[in-house]
Amino acid sequence: MHGFLLRIAKRQEPSPLWRSALVLFGAVLVALGLSILLLALRGISPLEGCRVLIMGAFGSSWALQDCLLKAIPLFLCSLGVAIAFRLQIWNIGAEGQFALGAIGATWAALAFGAQPKFILLPLMILAACSAGGLWAMIPAIFRQWLGANEIIVTLMFNYIAILLLDFLVYGIWRDSSGFPMTPAFSKNAILGTIGTSDIHWGLVHCALLGLLCWLFFRSTRLGYEIKASGDNVQAARYAGMPYNFLVVLVMLLSGALAGWAGFLEVSASVHRLQPSIMVGYGFTAIVVAWLARLNPAGIALTSFLLAGLRAGVENLQLDLQIPAAFGAILEGLILMTVLAGGFFLSYRIVVRRQT
Amino acid sequence: MQGAVPFIQLDTLCKSFGRVRANHNISLDIHAGKILALLGENGAGKSTLMSLLAGQLQPDSGRILLNGRQVVLSSTEKAIQCGIGMVYQHFKLVEAMSVLENIVLGQSQGFWLKRSALKRQVAELARAYGIPLALNARVSTLSMGEKQQVEILKLLFRKSDLLIFDEPTSVLTPAEATNLFATMREMAAQGKAIVFISHKLEEVLRIADHIAILKQGEIIDQLSPAADLVPAELARRMVGRPVLLQVQREELEPRQTVLKVQGLGGNGLEQVDLELRQGELLSLVGVAGNGQKALVENICGLLPPRKGAVRILGQDWADFYAARQTETSLSYIPEDRQGLATCPGLDLLDNFLLTTRHAFSKGPWLDKNTAKDKLDKLLQDFAIRPQDSSTHAWQLSGGNLQKLVLAREFYRKPRLIVAEQPTQGLDIAAAEEVWRLLLQAREQAGILLVTGDLAEALALSDRIGVMFRGKLVAIMARHDQKSIARIPQMMAGLAPSEGESQKTYNQGVES
Repeated sequence: MHGFLLRIAKRQEPSPLWRSALVLFGAVLVALGLSILLLALRGISPLEGCRVLIMGAFGSSWALQDCLLKAIPLFLCSLGVAIAFRLQIWNIGAEGQFALGAIGATWAALAFGAQPKFILLPLMILAACSAGGLWAMIPAIFRQWLGANEIIVTLMFNYIAILLLDFLVYGIWRDSSGFPMTPAFSKNAILGTIGTSDIHWGLVHCALLGLLCWLFFRSTRLGYEIKASGDNVQAARYAGMPYNFLVVLVMLLSGALAGWAGFLEVSASVHRLQPSIMVGYGFTAIVVAWLARLNPAGIALTSFLLAGLRAGVENLQLDLQIPAAFGAILEGLILMTVLAGGFFLSYRIVVRRQT
Repeated sequence: MQGAVPFIQLDTLCKSFGRVRANHNISLDIHAGKILALLGENGAGKSTLMSLLAGQLQPDSGRILLNGRQVVLSSTEKAIQCGIGMVYQHFKLVEAMSVLENIVLGQSQGFWLKRSALKRQVAELARAYGIPLALNARVSTLSMGEKQQVEILKLLFRKSDLLIFDEPTSVLTPAEATNLFATMREMAAQGKAIVFISHKLEEVLRIADHIAILKQGEIIDQLSPAADLVPAELARRMVGRPVLLQVQREELEPRQTVLKVQGLGGNGLEQVDLELRQGELLSLVGVAGNGQKALVENICGLLPPRKGAVRILGQDWADFYAARQTETSLSYIPEDRQGLATCPGLDLLDNFLLTTRHAFSKGPWLDKNTAKDKLDKLLQDFAIRPQDSSTHAWQLSGGNLQKLVLAREFYRKPRLIVAEQPTQGLDIAAAEEVWRLLLQAREQAGILLVTGDLAEALALSDRIGVMFRGKLVAIMARHDQKSIARIPQMMAGLAPSEGESQKTYNQGVES
């Protein structure tokens, strides 16, 4: 019997940087190639598709601003899940925590709308972070004391949160116009834009929070304990680290950051609460965190790129009538190919003649 | 058949990692039908040399000859094809699968699995080498010795002509070790080449046909065991200076009680009583798996006591651990260095901070600069290689990792030290260093030493306790020669009479 045999061999030494970059680049190319194939099925020329996608994302100053605006909630949600992932707690619930943040902020805006800006805005942030954080704490408590899998619980909590948001805007918070949305926020509840641009101050919030996160992991004892527990739970137990507390804390922080993103969305972008704010930032955030390998600077960059992808896909929708689901498919493909590409960093394929 | 041409010939092999010369001009002949022992201190380059042979690493220069012809062992598979097999210290077995499945795993003999034919083949092999194994047994149910036999059968099944054993006796009972040596002899008799890596000098003298000594990456000595070759002489050649196997030890006046265990039960323990004072060292000996682990985990706060009481520094177990005083007063040096005592994926500084972090905390902040200064000094004092605090823990050799753990734990100036097999896998010089440190630490602490090495226990202890099936069957003072002579029987479960054990116990405490 003669023939060729493909065998998988483990790499014996760690992959150099150039190979990681090559694999990442190749993975994105494969994902784009596959999506273009989808476009071709609808009779759209690949070149035209790519042009519309890229122009929509980064082709004009308007597009770039739109991209940046989308990157802001993405960055905060992603920063949040990355903190949880550091401890190897798989928080898939940023979407729901984002919704709760929006609900919390809206509650403060509606209840204390007459307060001056410098009181109302911090109040809204506090309400948003508490709502998002507490929402995320519940799965953490279930995990540590009831042994419930956090992946499933956080995932299910997303749907509860989204339905809760619907319940509120269709019910007690419904605007007098009759549409499923709250009344517009008072002037004081709105976070303004920077100078004459369309970019709101949320961008500065992102920069500060990103810096804080980096500082937290670099220089604080709790940050260190999270890092150590994430590397080896047994060693954390051995060293007397309060693991249960750390899990709850990490989920609280994680949810609070997603909640902050929810605040920015209602206060700075939409100026009211409505179901259309739920566009899946919380899910994309997981992709971002993973692609960026949990590094804050990497998360900033990746958020911007994936936000661009979203903007580009919107452009595809407008210009070429591509269904919105295409964006989700593209995003999913990129995550899949990048994760699959990781295989080539630890293994190689050997072709051998079989004898 | 053992002609002039060796099975494997290493010709001036060199391998460097950065500036470190792990192997330098290694030339060595490995003959079929002979047992070659490889001796050397930690970091002497034994692991690197074996990795070169197993195809995991490539030499920078030099040649490997197989039956006189040059080969390039470019991968582990290539090495296996050339008939080179390794029995690693940590077994590479699938616990949930049967013995047979583990042995035939990874065989590329066509697409279909011919189970009955394979089973016949393996059974014949087992018979030929006198290895009595139930092929249908699940690996998870086997003892360490039996698992090792599975590894050996696996290699024989792959028709390995050279079997390399990395510290094979470190996980075995004395009886299992004797068995292993018989199997090794049998394999050598049937023409296999054997390489045996060990730190235990007596074993090497007992089993080896030829001994090669590695030091700082070079082979400094090759000799054959002769009648006049004694362990001390071998040790001298290995470390290059006379090593006293007897440890210098002075009596200390025991002071206040640091640990009191009363009627401790549950988790496989039964009515364990012991008391430990500052200034004394109490060893617990016994075959692994007789409750030592549960006892240590109870004392060190990993497992709450089910029955009975544990008092540490005069405080109740629950109070002691609720107050989180472990960091300043109790040091636990666990057997499992990689899994429990360190974070392999973090650097040495982060690993140093693991149990010392509170000392470097200012409010919420962690003062890493001061910690780094302290660590850099410790890395020097304890001669830990490499001396770079940004190295990752997984890159350290076993001995250096253990030294790091010890450096960290002693740095805390604890008052109670629980050390589990602290010298396991260490070479003599490193083990001596550990012994010296432990004895020195008695000044300020009470030490509970759990060891499988009776010689170690006798050399260091003020009192010795024997564990069997969850019970502390006896505690005796070091000068109680009559009881000490009976330790082997006690380890096997032939307990002394009640009165005798009680008497020696009291003697031990009060003397």
